[in-house]
Amino acid sequence: MKKEIVKKLREILGSPAVIEDETELLVYECDALTLFKSKPDAVVFPRTTEQVAQIVRLANEHRIPFLPRGAGTGLSGGALAVEGGIIIELQRMNRILSIDADNRFAIVQPGVVNLHISQAVAPYGLYYAPDPSSQMACSIGGNVAENSGGPHCLKYGMTTNHILAIEAVTSKGEIIRLGNAAGETVGMDLIGAIVGSEGTFVIVTEITIRLLQKPQWVKTLLAAFHSVEDCSQTVSDIIAAGIVPAALEFVDAKTIEAVEASVYKAGYPQDAAAALLIEVDGFREGLEETSNAIVEICRRNRSYDVRVAKDDEERARLWLGRKGAFGAMGRISPDMITMDAVIPRTRLPEVLAEIARMSDRYGLAVANVFHAGDGNLHPLILFDGRRQDQVEKIHRMGEEIVKLCVDVGGALSGEHGIGYEKKEFMNLVFSESDLEIMMRVKRVFNPDGLLNPSKIFPTRRACTEIGKHTTTSTAEIGKRVEEVLRGSAR
Amino acid sequence: MTIDGVSPSTVVRPESIEELAHALASEKGAIVPLGAATQTYFGNPLRRADCALDLTRLSRITEYNPADLTVHVEAGVPLEQLQHALLENNQFLPLDPWNGPRATVGGIAATNAQGPFRATGTIRDWIIGMKVVHVDGQISKAGGRVVKNVTGYDLQKLYTGSLGTLAVIVEVSLKLRAKFQRTATAIARPADESGAAALIASIRNSALQPISCEWTGPENEVLLRFGEHPRAVDWQLKNLPAADWRVLEDADEAAAWEKLRGRYGQLGPLVLRVIGLPATVHEIIKTYRPAAWIAHALNGIVLMQIFDADAIRQIRGKYRAVIEKAPLEVRRKIGTFGLTDTEYELMKKMKEAFDPEGRLNAGRHVDGERN
Repeated sequence: MKKEIVKKLREILGSPAVIEDETELLVYECDALTLFKSKPDAVVFPRTTEQVAQIVRLANEHRIPFLPRGAGTGLSGGALAVEGGIIIELQRMNRILSIDADNRFAIVQPGVVNLHISQAVAPYGLYYAPDPSSQMACSIGGNVAENSGGPHCLKYGMTTNHILAIEAVTSKGEIIRLGNAAGETVGMDLIGAIVGSEGTFVIVTEITIRLLQKPQWVKTLLAAFHSVEDCSQTVSDIIAAGIVPAALEFVDAKTIEAVEASVYKAGYPQDAAAALLIEVDGFREGLEETSNAIVEICRRNRSYDVRVAKDDEERARLWLGRKGAFGAMGRISPDMITMDAVIPRTRLPEVLAEIARMSDRYGLAVANVFHAGDGNLHPLILFDGRRQDQVEKIHRMGEEIVKLCVDVGGALSGEHGIGYEKKEFMNLVFSESDLEIMMRVKRVFNPDGLLNPSKIFPTRRACTEIGKHTTTSTAEIGKRVEEVLRGSAR
Repeated sequence: MTIDGVSPSTVVRPESIEELAHALASEKGAIVPLGAATQTYFGNPLRRADCALDLTRLSRITEYNPADLTVHVEAGVPLEQLQHALLENNQFLPLDPWNGPRATVGGIAATNAQGPFRATGTIRDWIIGMKVVHVDGQISKAGGRVVKNVTGYDLQKLYTGSLGTLAVIVEVSLKLRAKFQRTATAIARPADESGAAALIASIRNSALQPISCEWTGPENEVLLRFGEHPRAVDWQLKNLPAADWRVLEDADEAAAWEKLRGRYGQLGPLVLRVIGLPATVHEIIKTYRPAAWIAHALNGIVLMQIFDADAIRQIRGKYRAVIEKAPLEVRRKIGTFGLTDTEYELMKKMKEAFDPEGRLNAGRHVDGERN
């Protein structure tokens, strides 16, 4: 990156808030999806919205790509600087600005860690519902970008259902505000479009979130099964009985093996083929009956061990195993790929059986730990990154799993996003027409494509995009040529 | 048929999405998409109408998967038809828009129609996917058919509430909910406004979680609806704050909510949806002294009958406010949504990206907001 630009960034932010040293930049060459790597030219750490706006304006002036980054826990490469440029790291904008317990909302900066919000509002008997497994580390800004989920979104909805208002910096460096603390949409639902746009529409710099009253009572159960089919059937039966669990999580034998060998040891039954972690919450009255009805359904499906957590400590331990499952895989495998696809929940048994067959065929172990209640699969393909033969196979196997899920009427991603990882699969679920319309909306927010480029849209389309621009005006051609040259000039 | 004094010269009633797409591809004039036409009074004044696109024949429930809690319907399916089909499996779509059971799913989505049942959100929170036809006849979809999905942009959210001005909604995928095992409604009539406000404040600060909490005035009636496990409903009824409560169930309960819907129908001719906060509902009522009102008290929203366009301007000086109903001459003078400059600019660009010639519901949304 040109010295002159680095100098200007330092003028905006102060010297220590700009990283351009090659070694230091290594940390930012990927997010939690480590399979793809691309180094940014600089990483900046703004503390205010105005600074973010200034950086964006500077990047526009020099036609440098830029992208926001939160805690870097994303699993689809959303914070990957594919074309280099500037990463705007928002972790230092980490203040909870206000809590309005009376009206049940809070205003927070994007770098606030998800879990810290619930901790801060706990004294008021409130909490923030969406709880991705990475909630101890992930930032709320990243959650907004990805429309993150978590186990409890089965009952309480995804991030999009909890965002009331935002302040953001546009791709051109303007500061805008949208929404209201009542969460009432006025006109078109622009916030609804922005949440989940994976940092390709705007950079969110302040977020007003909905807080919920903590449930009066919670019951957490663990049911063990000797067969995956019985376990899957139980999921369908619970939903069919009209029960709305707060969470309904599936862990298979491989996952249990890893968890029990790790610091997340939760006391999961080690002889089980699969187990369900089930939680119901709400009013204390009636919850016992609901819990009993679930136990009954589990038994009817041949669960050989149903355990109801006796106290908060046991509850916490059961959840620790689930939330730590991804991390625990390190105990049994040097590397893994976390997949994220959604299927109609009734298709669980056949899809899981097919994934098991694939695992045999490719000779790669797969652990399944996922949000069964909403059919959100997370097959974890375990491999050894030092073995080139395995690395090649995981790509093919991953693709086969994605196609399988799409074929049964599913979706490419339930909560991790498309990012860089899954963009080439977009043609599997969307037609050229669908993608063209999405591109139109992207251009409304991000007309020059400088904000977080090379994401979501399949590469084939990105070429068409440039082609379309070049036919519009000579000025556009100049801009595009400059963009193409930008790559080689670096 | 006449809307805002404009009468379309032709009416097209397509039987299929393909037929509709074909009709749009060949139509060069201004197009007005219509469902059951229960809300044609909503929005900025319609400017032109060459062709009315009647969607009521697109009334098939194309796929219903009870075990997946999802349903896929064509836009012309009336809400009551859908609820009736869902009831067979003890499921429902938890919405009760004021414009009633005759309203179509597409129409409810296009207008973002709402009612008192708001504890689980509005229609945007239940739509998981959408198919639309664009002004040039192009068909596209967004979202998907599963309950949880972050694949691609959530354009279904953008179409929701856009009054058919971006594209014509032709198919909607919805997630569903199991019916409450039991519901009950408690009604009280405090002596005065302060009494009602105090009662609502104590509800807000209690452990109660009503699925609807409405405060109507000037009669000061407070309606609370509970829906949950039967024992949880009982517990909440037992723990109501002190007042002279009347508890209704079954047919009596349904009648009370139907009566409230009638009450909404009587509000007018000028009704404003004022957006405040739960704790400011009383303040809003005290300050602007509406002739009549229905407040979604736990959401901070007050639907109020006011006197003239000046009152709208005055209220908008302090609160966001959408014109819910108003005579044509008022809507000609003042924009329905009261958009901020940022919203206006973004929505205008969005409109231009989808419908550069302004032929879809001309003038109805952002294109008629500022004249």
